[in-house]
Amino acid sequence: MKSIEELRGVYEQNLKSRLEDLEIQRKTIVKTGLIHGGITLAVAALGLFMDSPPLAIGALIVGLIVLAIRVYKKMEAYRLTYKGQVVAEVIRLIDDSWSYSSETCIPKADYMRSKIFTHRPDRYNGDDYVKGTIDKTDFEFSELHSEYKTTSTDSKGNTRTEWHTIFKGLFFHADFNKEIKGETFVLPDTAEKLFGKFGQRFQKMSSKGKLIKLENQEFEKEFVVYGSEQIEPRYILTPTIMEAMVNIKKQYKHNMSFSFVGSRVFCAISIQKNMFEPAIFRSGVRFEDVQEIHSYFEVIRILIQELNLNTRIWTKE
Amino acid sequence: MIIVLMYNGLIHKKNEVDNAFGGMDVQLKKRYDLIPNLVSTVKQYASHEKDLLEKVTQLRAKVTDGQMSTDEKVALDNEISQTIGGIMVAVENYPDLKASENFLNLQRTLNEVESQISASRRAFNATITDYNNAIESFPKNIMAGMMSLKRKEVFVVHEMERQNVDVSKLF
Repeated sequence: MKSIEELRGVYEQNLKSRLEDLEIQRKTIVKTGLIHGGITLAVAALGLFMDSPPLAIGALIVGLIVLAIRVYKKMEAYRLTYKGQVVAEVIRLIDDSWSYSSETCIPKADYMRSKIFTHRPDRYNGDDYVKGTIDKTDFEFSELHSEYKTTSTDSKGNTRTEWHTIFKGLFFHADFNKEIKGETFVLPDTAEKLFGKFGQRFQKMSSKGKLIKLENQEFEKEFVVYGSEQIEPRYILTPTIMEAMVNIKKQYKHNMSFSFVGSRVFCAISIQKNMFEPAIFRSGVRFEDVQEIHSYFEVIRILIQELNLNTRIWTKE
Repeated sequence: MIIVLMYNGLIHKKNEVDNAFGGMDVQLKKRYDLIPNLVSTVKQYASHEKDLLEKVTQLRAKVTDGQMSTDEKVALDNEISQTIGGIMVAVENYPDLKASENFLNLQRTLNEVESQISASRRAFNATITDYNNAIESFPKNIMAGMMSLKRKEVFVVHEMERQNVDVSKLF
């Protein structure tokens, strides 16, 4: 793991000058936005002044469309350059053998295979896909956003479609070091947190399998475990792994879900904000941004290390 | 109605304990099955460890031989664990053996079985705790008393195993 000093060193040496170049691009976007916005408002105001609402409304509509198209194009270009030059560089710094693609994400089939989320998504997208290996363990990682829709029709016959988020955040899967036959799920313990002991009754009702009570109290407070049988979850969730999960949870403070299905471990970390995206309305030349990108990618290494995925003393090579 | 539910609930818990012990027994049996392999592999390279090998063979014969109570099985199993541990330490003196493909495979399989055993022990303990909670808390304890259900002990690691291993004593 790179220390803050090392990261700062790379930032000062390589990234700062790139970010300063990008800053010019960012300022142009803001300027374009302000000029177009200003002209639009001025024409609209003129329309109102001349007592001509159609002119005001027309100016607003046309102005906003032109603004949206011009700014969007410039922003896309800025975003892509930022990812190619800054985000990719941070990943190279962590491990230069990892491959990075800013516009793709983990395939939907892999997401479904994890079985962490029961809802089938109607809209599925994501970006910042990283693929690589650490020692003996291969992994894939990306940002994901999955949603399902509901449509309702009111008394007048108008249909309304609403989108609901199933998952938004970081999704990761890696080769697991033990042979597994069943399915094991480690999910955030919302029922027990909200309703205490009474919540345990809700925990028993799940489509994911039998409720498994484990002996680590701290772990039990954070997570609830379901499995297709009683022994295999304990074979997977050794005392060391339970402690590691609690530590990772404490470090990142986001809701985390794990599943052990087939030969892989899947992990979904819920994060509401868009990660690895450049800022538009403030300066992009900030070490803190780079540090944040680095900390999100570091989760890969931390997961593989803490879950001991490289230890291969069992029958699986 | 409540009585029927309580009765069925307790029977359910009691059967779960038996089931969990069964699960553990299967894993233990897997380890017993590995012993002849271990003995024949180690024998080829380490003839000096005859005593340890004979001991583990005898223990295996005893445990697979006849009907034994749960406690006896647990005690014998502890002894087997220790002897296998002893063999693994002794092996350190034989680099040829340590490097042999056969032995490496065996070591991996043993590790696998050991972690399966420890998982099934934890499952067994969780079921017993559940059972004990049920038969000791009010009002089920009255029902359990009538059904003459007794408190069961959780699986504890043998006192000897808990102490730090003194390598010199193993030889």
